[in-house]
This record gives sequence, structure tokens and C-alpha cells, in this order.
Amino acid sequence: MTGVIDSYIPVAIFFIVALITPPVMMFIVHQLSPRSKAERKLTTYECGSVPIGEARIQFNVEYYLYAIAFVLFDVEVLFLYPWAMVYINHGITAIATVEMFLFIVVVLMGYLYLWKKEALKWVK
Amino acid sequence: MMSIVEFLFNPWVRGTLGLALIGLIFFSAVITVWLERKFGADIQSRIGPNRVGGRFGLLQLIADAIKLFTKEDLIPAKADKLLFVMAPIVILGSAFMMIVAIPFGAIVIGDKSYPIAATEFDISVLYLEAVSALSVLGIFMAAYGSNNKYSMLAAFRNIARMIGYEVPLGISIIGIAVMVQSLNIVEIAMAQSPLWFIFVQPIGFAVFFISILADMGRLPFDQNEAEEELVAGWGTEYTGMRWGLGLFAEYIHMILGSCLMVLLYLGGWNLPKFITGIFILGAFAPIFWFIAKVVVVVMTIIMIRWALPRFRIDQVVDLGWKVLFPLSILNLIWAVALGLFFGA
Repeated sequence: MTGVIDSYIPVAIFFIVALITPPVMMFIVHQLSPRSKAERKLTTYECGSVPIGEARIQFNVEYYLYAIAFVLFDVEVLFLYPWAMVYINHGITAIATVEMFLFIVVVLMGYLYLWKKEALKWVK
Repeated sequence: MMSIVEFLFNPWVRGTLGLALIGLIFFSAVITVWLERKFGADIQSRIGPNRVGGRFGLLQLIADAIKLFTKEDLIPAKADKLLFVMAPIVILGSAFMMIVAIPFGAIVIGDKSYPIAATEFDISVLYLEAVSALSVLGIFMAAYGSNNKYSMLAAFRNIARMIGYEVPLGISIIGIAVMVQSLNIVEIAMAQSPLWFIFVQPIGFAVFFISILADMGRLPFDQNEAEEELVAGWGTEYTGMRWGLGLFAEYIHMILGSCLMVLLYLGGWNLPKFITGIFILGAFAPIFWFIAKVVVVVMTIIMIRWALPRFRIDQVVDLGWKVLFPLSILNLIWAVALGLFFGA
């Protein structure tokens, strides 16, 4: 009925609308809302006291461990998607299932290693 | 007749008409805000909004909208202006981009059913997952841009949480894709005509439900807001409508997450055959059932919010990595076994 690219035309339309809507709403707000100038209003909120230092601090390194684990397992999930589409009814059922079983076992071993090394522990 | 259908299925016409769905979803998000306040008040034996618009506070929504539109828009002096302004666009954009691929029920004429969606494509489930995850980026932009310590803490925790729950979410979706042999959400919904997937894969449903709660940032997983600890989380420096856009995006995410849950596990717009047979709405019955199911799911999510306290961040991360991830793998193996047994 419709081509592959055709079915993404609505996505493009929605993308443009998503880009336009917030500025339009903020324009309406700027017409309606009061404006007043006071320097104190523009300070960063920190329970009413004068802010100490910057908020853009260095990350705790443990976030990186989580991030690396996430990237590994998310890529694994991406490999599973095409496999799930073809493993039945394409004449490769047996080998595809065995291969994927091995793949999952390897991934689970990595997962157990991460757990054992306490990479998944929040407070060390 | 045929030509009308063809005209409506032209991608340009369909996309433009689909924009009406944005309006409808926005409206239902507003209703959900009211429902959350009123229903939450009922659960906690409070009265809730009762001043504007009669005993049930029906006009509270309009009062809130007027308030949001007339508040002064402040950008803190220390903020990164570009990130600060772009963040609500990304958060809301992620919600809008989700609307495009979700079918909100279907119209059944004869044997054919026409899904009410702005578009259909083969990888729509994967697309929905990807676009929905974009909102994390927006929340981090908001926090980094506003240069506020509470916002940064919220964003750090938010990312740690999302990272832990994205993987089980993906694997539980693969459990379904394995059984349907498709990633097209319309086909997945249609495939549940005899039996809903919640009965086939109960573990998968549990994993998906918890992960999507975390994905939406709803209690008990709302580390991105955590108003009792972190003032208002990522939105601490935001005022008026700029904050309101983020709030609406969160509620739209909640509604769309419920839609996704209904489409993937609760049978979409299908009902057991004996009920459909006696129903009088005819071609529009699927829409009615779809909306009814979504309302039930939304009410459940609201009830969970008012019944459970927020988890600590280390508990949240542990739950995701150490409980849901192994469970989702277990469910995948179960789904593959079922698929081999029935499919091959």
C-alpha cells in the first residue's frame, strides 16, 4: 500500500510540530505574563541562602560503571531484536536457537562477573 | 468508499489528521492531572480540589492553565540559556514523537480493521522505546542547564535509574516480538485476539509493568522529581509554562505508557469473543474497549503512587539490575520455548 519512506512522513510532521509547539506557547506566555526586574530573582535556588560554588561537579566514577554495563547490555538487546524476527519459519530454527542460547549464556556470564566484581553495587 | 479509505491512508493526510491525536492526548493529560489530585485525595481521605467549579473542582484545570500562562518566565542568571530553553522542547518532543506510532484503538468494518494511528511501520515498538528514552536527555539538559544542585542530583539519579530499567524493558518486549514475529505494534495488538499476552507471559508483564513505571518516572520511582528531598528535582529552577510543558510531558508519558501496556500485554482493543458479540457499539467498540483498558491502567498507576513510598536510589538500581534483568532473561527463555513449541 504505502512505501517504507512514506510511513515516516507523519513522523516528520510530528517532529516539526514538536519543535514549534513550545516556542509558540512561550510566545503566548510572554504576551500575558508580567515582567519585573530584580537581580535577586535570578539567583539560583538553594534554600534561600547564597549558593555556594557551582552545581556542575565531577561525576562519581561509579556512574561510569553503570553506564558501561548499560551500553553492553543494551547492545545485546539490540542484537536480539533482528534474531527474534527470523528465528522461526525461515528454515534456520535449530541453529538460530542454539546460537542465541550460547549468546545469552555468554552474556549472563559477563553479568555474573559484573555482579561478583561489585560493579552493580551502589555504595561501595 | 474505497477512495475515502485510500485518501485517508495517504501519508500526508494521515499525518496531518494525526495531529488531532496530540490535542486529544494533551486534553486527556489535563484530565489525568485533575484525576490524580481528586482520586489521590479520595485515597488519603482528603477532600482535594473543591473551590473552583463546584464540589468536584472541575474548573481547577482551567484555573491551573491560566496560572501557568500568566506566571513570569524566569531564566536564572547562572543558567546555560540554550540548554535551559531547549530542555522542555526535548522532553515534550519525546512525548509527541511517541504519539505518532501508537494506535489508539481501531475501527472495524466487516473483516478489516483500520487502526487509528498517525502512521504504521514495521519497527514501531523499537521506535517507541527509543523515542521514549529521549526524555532522559531532556531532563539532564534541564538539570545541567539550570546549574542547580538539587536538579543535578535529580538528573544523576534519573539517569542511573533509567539505565537500569531500559534493559529489562527491552528484553521483555523481545519476549513478545519472539511470539508475534513482528515489531509492528498494530500486528502485536491484533495477534492477541484469542489470548492476551498477560496470560501467556505473566513474568514478562510484571517486568514490563515495573520497568515502564520507572521509565515514566512515576512513584515509587520518581527520583527525577522527589519533591520531599530535592525541592522539585529537575524542575527546581523552572517557572510557569516552561515547567508546565515538562509536567504535561510527564503526564503524556504516563498515558502513552499505559497505552503501550494495553497494546503489548492487555490485548489492545480486543476482547474475548463472547463479549464483543453482544456489544452494541458496532464498529466503534474497539475504541471504547481500548480507552476503558487505558483508564483502568492509569487509575492503577495513580493508586500505586498514593499507596507506596518512594524507594531509595540504591534500592531502585538494585531492583533493576539484580531482580528484573534476570527475570526478563527467564521470561525470554520461556517465550522462546513457547514460540518453538507452537510456531515451528
